[in-house]
Amino acid sequence: MRPAKIPTEELMTSGHLACQGCGATQAMRFALKALGPKTALVIPACCWSVIDGPFPHSSLKVPIFHTAFEAAASTASGLKAGLEMRGDTETVVMAWAGDGGTFDIGIQALSGAAERNEDMIYCCYDNEAYMNTGIQRSSATPAGAWTTTTPIKHYKKRPKKKIIDIMAAHSIPYIATASVAYPLDLIEKFKKAREIKGTRFIHVFAPCPTGWKLAPELSVSMARQAVTSKIFPLMEVTDNGRRWSVWKDFEPTPLQDYIKAQGRFRHLTDEEIEGIGRETERNWQELLMKERISLELPGLESE
Amino acid sequence: MGEKIVFKNYKEMPIRAMSVADMTWNLTGSWRNIRPYYDFKLSPCRVGCPAGEDIQKYIFLLIEDRAEEAWRTIIETNPMPAVTGRVCFHPCMEKCTRKDFDQSINIPGIERSIGDLGLENPGWMKKTKASKKEKVAVVGGGPAGLSCAFYLARRGYAVTLFEADKALGGVLRWGIPEYRLPNTLLDDVITQIVESGPITVKSGTALGKGVDLESLEKEFDALFLGLGLAESRALGIDGEETDGVEAGLEFLRRVNSGEKVDPGKRVAVIGGGNTAMDVARCALRSGSDVTVIYRRTRHEMPAISDEIEEAEHEGVNFRFLAAPKDIITKNGKLEKVVFQEMELGEPDESGRRRPVPVEGKTFELELDRMFTAIGETADLGPIEGRVGSEWNLIGADGESYQTSRKGIYAGGDVVTGAASVVEAVAAGRKAAEAIERSFTGAEDKAVEEPKVIGFEDINTAYFDHSNRSLLPRIDHKEAVNGFGEIHLGFSPEMLARETERCFSCGVCNFCDNCWVFCPDVAIIRKEDEYEVDYDFCKGCLVCVIECPRGCISTREEGK
Ligand SMILES: Cc1cc2nc3c(=O)[nH]c(=O)nc-3n(C[C@H](O)[C@H](O)[C@H](O)COP(=O)(O)OP(=O)(O)OC[C@H]3O[C@@H](n4cnc5c(N)ncnc54)[C@H](O)[C@@H]3O)c2cc1C
Ligand SMILES: Cc1ncc(C[n+]2csc(CCOP(=O)(O)OP(=O)(O)O)c2C)c(N)n1
Ligand code: SF4
Ligand code: SF4
Ligand code: SF4
Ligand SMILES: [Mg+2]
Repeated sequence: MRPAKIPTEELMTSGHLACQGCGATQAMRFALKALGPKTALVIPACCWSVIDGPFPHSSLKVPIFHTAFEAAASTASGLKAGLEMRGDTETVVMAWAGDGGTFDIGIQALSGAAERNEDMIYCCYDNEAYMNTGIQRSSATPAGAWTTTTPIKHYKKRPKKKIIDIMAAHSIPYIATASVAYPLDLIEKFKKAREIKGTRFIHVFAPCPTGWKLAPELSVSMARQAVTSKIFPLMEVTDNGRRWSVWKDFEPTPLQDYIKAQGRFRHLTDEEIEGIGRETERNWQELLMKERISLELPGLESE
Repeated sequence: MGEKIVFKNYKEMPIRAMSVADMTWNLTGSWRNIRPYYDFKLSPCRVGCPAGEDIQKYIFLLIEDRAEEAWRTIIETNPMPAVTGRVCFHPCMEKCTRKDFDQSINIPGIERSIGDLGLENPGWMKKTKASKKEKVAVVGGGPAGLSCAFYLARRGYAVTLFEADKALGGVLRWGIPEYRLPNTLLDDVITQIVESGPITVKSGTALGKGVDLESLEKEFDALFLGLGLAESRALGIDGEETDGVEAGLEFLRRVNSGEKVDPGKRVAVIGGGNTAMDVARCALRSGSDVTVIYRRTRHEMPAISDEIEEAEHEGVNFRFLAAPKDIITKNGKLEKVVFQEMELGEPDESGRRRPVPVEGKTFELELDRMFTAIGETADLGPIEGRVGSEWNLIGADGESYQTSRKGIYAGGDVVTGAASVVEAVAAGRKAAEAIERSFTGAEDKAVEEPKVIGFEDINTAYFDHSNRSLLPRIDHKEAVNGFGEIHLGFSPEMLARETERCFSCGVCNFCDNCWVFCPDVAIIRKEDEYEVDYDFCKGCLVCVIECPRGCISTREEGK
């Protein structure tokens, strides 16, 4: 057999408690393949606090500190400080939180840690709702989606919060988006993040077949189409929030296909989908513009 | 497998809430209601190839830098890839899945490269010795006979190959011109086949002239007849014997033997098949102005479409819906020909619309030479009355290749009528297998036909669009100046680029996707295969969708 393109080491085992086709588990598996065994995780309340398994069992071969819903970033800051006090500078500390724990309740702790430029990786795996408690809307839920708190009659109208803009405004050294459909890219980004000091924020798109009313076999396919339909661009913001670079080298696919495959969007009319399409295109153009501007303005002086 | 830890009382609990065991005691396979399983399928190109070449496999082996194995793979079903890679009408490409994505793979181009490599590396052909007691006579040294002899010899049967001509090759030798199939290359191919095993060649020995059927039956345990079609069909009009009217096959024979020919300036070729195309293009190369006259339209022409296009580009004129009616001579020489105009009527047995004369509409052409190429027929004189025939073709069973006479097998054009090189090659091999079965008494094992992959089974997200690589070539203007080969082989870079385009339909090429994407780490990556770990597979079927090439099938649990 040819050598594998992604690391063969497995730090996540079978037997975990995720649903069929869970994107969050793929995200964890890939991330740990990139970071290696010298990684300590901080996980607030979210699906992953359950997926891992009941005490005293764990499906991960790295230590996890379970923390409160709102506290991922502050706990990770403390854990890193503690390790350093004990002379361990090798272990990378990674906060691993859901979108609810990041975009909503955890944003204060995250903003504080990022502003202090705490030395950690903060990964938000985004399944676009509070899935662990039964599919409630979060500020990461996209416009148009059904959740139990945005029922069909009152489906979500507000757009998804632009978390990358928020994090870029914190001038941290590394920000990236990644998708479980592009494991090589994802692994590369986590490897890159591991080598950087300061707060590194990685936003991983991780479909939830259960919460999206999606056939589990299509979960990776949806993650891929989110990228190729431009609704979830793959990008990096480096140079302390100054350099934006967007991945554009893909064959675009229709947003319609992405929306129509998912039960959570089933109620949308064609006009409504077109509206989402216009907004998506606008966001995409804005992003490209940011990229262009970032190239025209000066970078860091140290460069 | 890990063990589940159950605390019976608080004293057993650790002081701190810390995990001490993994989750592999939790056999999540019990959640599954549908199971994925590896189930490699047939690639459609292979179904399209009359010889059944394992195209996906040899392309894969080339990508893996295993050219010798690639060649060995082809040789299992076709002993002359260097020939078919040049002249085949490539029905495989019609079936190629990639056709529905952008453009089919250039399979003959790849086949030609492998065939040529096989000739450059004579050591690849492992020689066999006679190891069986039975002996077989093969009559006819065209593609059918050569293929039959090769596969019998591979299996250890001593073969004597009788050929009426002084050299082997059949149509490959005296029909197909050098600009498509150089003679020196053909010599190499034939030498490689003949020297591969216990094959004795008796050329210049015709069945019916040098040897007769009965004596062959006495001396050999089985006979294979691959006589081909050597006679030109006549037009059936007066004046065909005139000086200036010639059978196209005769002309090709003269051209291919190196004779300097001068058909004159004004030349017409009657017919629409491969013979007509080659006659026209040879005449063009001898300085003539050539018009092909065909009684139907371009759409019904039986010639290989690439060859029609080549002829057009080289400057052959075409006149459709016309047929010769009267040959007018002057001093015993051809002067002009009157042609009847035709139109298309009802479809005939072949499904093509029948040409019918348009009352009163004719035209004349002054000609120096008219070639007839309206079809070929067999000369069954040597077996007359002993081997059953119909429509002047030998009758042979489609599976066993048996004729009406026990121990006598037949295949190729003499059975099918004018067909193709690859079909003749396939017939020769299958007849060899049938002959072996007749010796050993083995049954034709009915293997279960695997499923064939369709375009809908391909996950196209994993492929980028690209155009087919074409063989480098000399341009049309230059080509007509001589008989040099028109198409050249792929460079190694072009070959690599084209092989990389193959989807590897239905057969795993170790892309790792299933292993990578399984959310449950339930696919085990082994030395040269993958295995589903059913203890843990939850049946999400992500692997099934993310396999780019449809290698994984599903089955409902409990069914
Ligand atoms: C001009 C021309 C161009 C063609 N171009 C193509 C092409 O580009 N691609 C393609 O796929 N097909 C092409 N064809 C068709 C193809 O060549 C034939 O289908 C194929 O050669 C058939 O092989 P065969 O072995 O059955 O017969 P043949 O090739 O005809 O070989 C029969 C052999 O048997 C010998 N023989 C006959 N009678 C006796 C006897 N009594 N004793 C001993 N030996 C005997 C003959 O001398 C000959 O060598 C072409 C045909 C012609 C005529
Ligand atoms: C302070 C607090 N409020 C509410 C909860 C209940 N709760 C546990 S997980 C969760 C949802 C988490 O959503 P998200 O962060 O998106 O992660 P996911 O479950 O979707 O993976 C909630 C509301 C809690 N544990 N703590
Ligand atoms: S893509 Fe490759 S395997 Fe598939 S049909 Fe074409 S040549 Fe055959
Ligand atoms: S991806 Fe894994 S869990 Fe899902 S069906 Fe395939 S083997 Fe089973
Ligand atoms: S996904 Fe790739 S590795 Fe898995 S079966 Fe298909 S071709 Fe083979
Ligand atoms: Mg969530």
